[in-house]
Amino acid sequence: MKHVSLKETKNLKDQTRIDFKMVTFSLAGKDYGIDIMKVKEISKAANFTFVPNAAPFVKGVYNLRGDIISVIDMRVFFNLEAEKAEDNTENMIILRLDSHVLSIIVDSIDKVIGISSESIQPPHPLFGDINIKYISGVVENDGRLYVILDVERILGDDEQGDGRAVEQRPAPSISSAAPFNARESTVSTTASAVKEDVDIGFIEETLITFLSFYSSPVNQDWIRSRFTAWKKQKGEDVQLANEQDAEAYLSPFPSPFSGSYWNSDFAEKVASFLPEDHAGNFYVWNPGCESGYESYSVACLIKNRLPNIHLRIIAHDNDLIRISTAPGLVVNQASLGNLYDDFLTEGSRGKQFKKEIKDAILFEYHDITHDNTLPKLDMVVMRDTVSYIAPDRQQHIFNTLEEVMKPGGLLILGAHEQPINPGAWEKVDNSGVVAYKKK
Amino acid sequence: MKTTSDFPSINERAPEGQNNGGAAFKVLVVDDSMFVTKQIGQILSSEGFEVVATAADGLEGVEKYKELYPHVDLVTMDITMPRMDGVSALKKIIEFDKDAKVVMISALGKQDLVKKALLIGAKNYIVKPLDRKKVLERVVSVLK
Amino acid sequence: MRVEYINPFVEAAYSIMTEVLQTEVERKDLYLKKTTQPVMGVAALVGLAGDVEGRVLIDMSQDTAIKIASTMNGEELTSLDELAKATITELANMITAQAVTKLFDLGFKFDLTPPSIITGDNMSVSNANVEALIVPLEMPQGLVEINVAIRERA
Repeated sequence: MKHVSLKETKNLKDQTRIDFKMVTFSLAGKDYGIDIMKVKEISKAANFTFVPNAAPFVKGVYNLRGDIISVIDMRVFFNLEAEKAEDNTENMIILRLDSHVLSIIVDSIDKVIGISSESIQPPHPLFGDINIKYISGVVENDGRLYVILDVERILGDDEQGDGRAVEQRPAPSISSAAPFNARESTVSTTASAVKEDVDIGFIEETLITFLSFYSSPVNQDWIRSRFTAWKKQKGEDVQLANEQDAEAYLSPFPSPFSGSYWNSDFAEKVASFLPEDHAGNFYVWNPGCESGYESYSVACLIKNRLPNIHLRIIAHDNDLIRISTAPGLVVNQASLGNLYDDFLTEGSRGKQFKKEIKDAILFEYHDITHDNTLPKLDMVVMRDTVSYIAPDRQQHIFNTLEEVMKPGGLLILGAHEQPINPGAWEKVDNSGVVAYKKK
Repeated sequence: MKTTSDFPSINERAPEGQNNGGAAFKVLVVDDSMFVTKQIGQILSSEGFEVVATAADGLEGVEKYKELYPHVDLVTMDITMPRMDGVSALKKIIEFDKDAKVVMISALGKQDLVKKALLIGAKNYIVKPLDRKKVLERVVSVLK
Repeated sequence: MRVEYINPFVEAAYSIMTEVLQTEVERKDLYLKKTTQPVMGVAALVGLAGDVEGRVLIDMSQDTAIKIASTMNGEELTSLDELAKATITELANMITAQAVTKLFDLGFKFDLTPPSIITGDNMSVSNANVEALIVPLEMPQGLVEINVAIRERA
C-alpha cells in the first residue's frame, strides 16, 4: 500500500495546516461556504410542505426521517434572484445549529474544501451581496473566492432583536402533515439515491484531503461497496470529520501482504499466471515498492518458476526514506517458506538475499508521475499505488502500460483496484487472486 | 583560497621553491580552470617557485613542455580537460622526457586512475580541494 | 535515480561546500523535480558517462555565485567575471568528481566530462525524459542546489 503521510499532503498544499473544512455552494452566481461542523447532511428535495403565513423566506417544512424541520430559502432571505430548479428539486443543506436543526435551500452545492483557518480574511462589504454581519470571513481557494457564512448569526436563536430571525415554528399537527406523508416515499427514494451519491462524493473529497487517496474507475467499485458497510456501522453520521475517520474508512483497502513478504501460497498463485517457460530477458516494473518487500517477493517467485531467465526488476518509489533501505533489506524471520529459502544466504546482520536476487532488482528514487523511459515489460506489479495518484496522471500511467507492456504481459494491481481501461485486459483468477493479462 | 601563515622560525628558512643555488624551481601548470591555475600559482609563488608557463589543455601542455625543455623542473597536471586529458598528456611528456617530474592534481580520486597515472610515470597525485600545506609537501618531496 | 547513487552526491556536495567555504552549510530535504531545468540564474554543468549517462548541475543566483567566488578566491569580487565563473565551474567539478570517486568505491564506474557554465534568465538545458534529484544547501552566501539527472544505461 502506498501511504502518503499528512505531512506530505501539507507540503502539497504549500505547507499550510488544514484545520477548517467547509461545504461550498452557490447563491445567485457567487460562491459561499459553511463550516462543515454545522452541516448535518445535504439533500435534494423534490418538494416539501408549504406552510402558509410564514415569513417570506420560510419555504415550508420538511420531514427529515420523522423530525419536522423548517426550510429556509437563502435566496429569498438575502433578497437575491432565485434560480428555478429544472425538475423542481431544490438543493438543500441541513444544518445542525446550537439550538435546532433546519435546512436551507441554495442554488447548487459544490464540494467540501479543506483550508487553513489562517487563510480566512475578515469580511469586507465589497465581497458579498449580503449584510456583512452574516459573514464570518472570506477565503480564496484554487482561484475562487468563498464567502463564509456565519449561520449561527443568521439563523440561530440569539438574533431576537433582528426582524430576520427565524422564529421557532411549532410543528404542524399530524392532520396537516398527512399530504406530506403521502409524498414521502417518492421524496425519499429520489433523495436517498442522490444523497448517497453526494455523501460518497464528500467522502471522496475528504480521502483526497487527508490521505491523498483519489477515487476513480480504478477503485470506485470498492469505495461504493465500502460505503454500504460504513453506513451500517456509522448510521446517519457518515461524513469523515478528520484524518482518523478517513483512515478508518480506508482500513480494509490495502492488499494482502502490504509492507511484508508475500507468503508462499499467495506467491504461488501469482506465479501460476506466469508462462511456464521463457527464454532471455524478463522485465518487471514495480512502482510503489516502498521498502522493497514486494520487489523481493516478486523476484523470488519469478526466479522459482523461471530459473533460467535474465530477470530485471525496476522498482520505484518517491518515499526516499523507505526506498533507501531497500537495497540492503535483511530477513529477520525464522523462515519465510520454501519459496524464499533457496534464495537466502546467512550474513552478519541476518539473512540476506543472494546476489542473483539482489542483482536482479534496481531500486530507484523516482516520482512515477514524471516521465521515465521503460523497456518493453513482461510484468507490472503496481499494488495500491495508482489509487494515490491524481486521476489525470492515473490515465497517463495506464496509457504508458498500453505502450510499454508486451502482449500477454501480466499486470498485478491492488486487491481492490481495477484497470481504468478494462477492455485492454483479460482478467485471470486463481482462487480469488486476480491479475490482468494484456490483450 | 586563503593562504595560511607560517610559524615564524628561529632560523631563516630558505623558501621551498628555491634550489640549493638559490634559483627558483620552474613550474608548468596545466589546468583548464583559470581559478585552479591561479590558486596553484599563488601557493607555489608564495614559497618561491616560479610559474614559467600555463596551459589550458593536455595538448597545449605537451607543446609547452617541449618548447621550454629542459627549463621546466616540475609540471602540475589536471586530469579532466578538453582536447587531451591529463593522463594522455602525461604519457606524451614521459615519452618525450623520461625524467620529467609530473604531479597530477585532480578532483577525481579514483584508485584505478591514481594507480594508472603513477604507473605511467607521474611522481605524485594530489586530490582537490587544494590545501596549501598538502600541495607544498608533495611538490617539494618530488623535487628532492 | 538509483538509490545507491544518492548518498555519494549528498555527501560530496556537503563535504566540498563546507571545506571550500569554511562555513556552516545547512542541508535541506532532498526532492525530485520533473526536469533538470536550472532556475536561479547561474548554472555550472558537468557531464556524466560510463555505467550511466546524465549530468550534474550546480544552480544558484548570480548574487550567491559572486559571494561564493569571492570567498573561494580570498578577495572581494564585484561581478560575475571570468575568474568568478571559473571558480563556480571548478566547484561543480569538485563536487561531481568527489561523488564519482565515492561511487567508484561502491562499484559503479562513472566518468565525467569537462564542465561548462551557463548564465541568464531563461536558461534551457535539454533534458529529455529525465527527472532530477535536488540536493539543496543553504549557506551564508545563499541557496545552492545540486541538481543531478542520471539515467541507467539499459
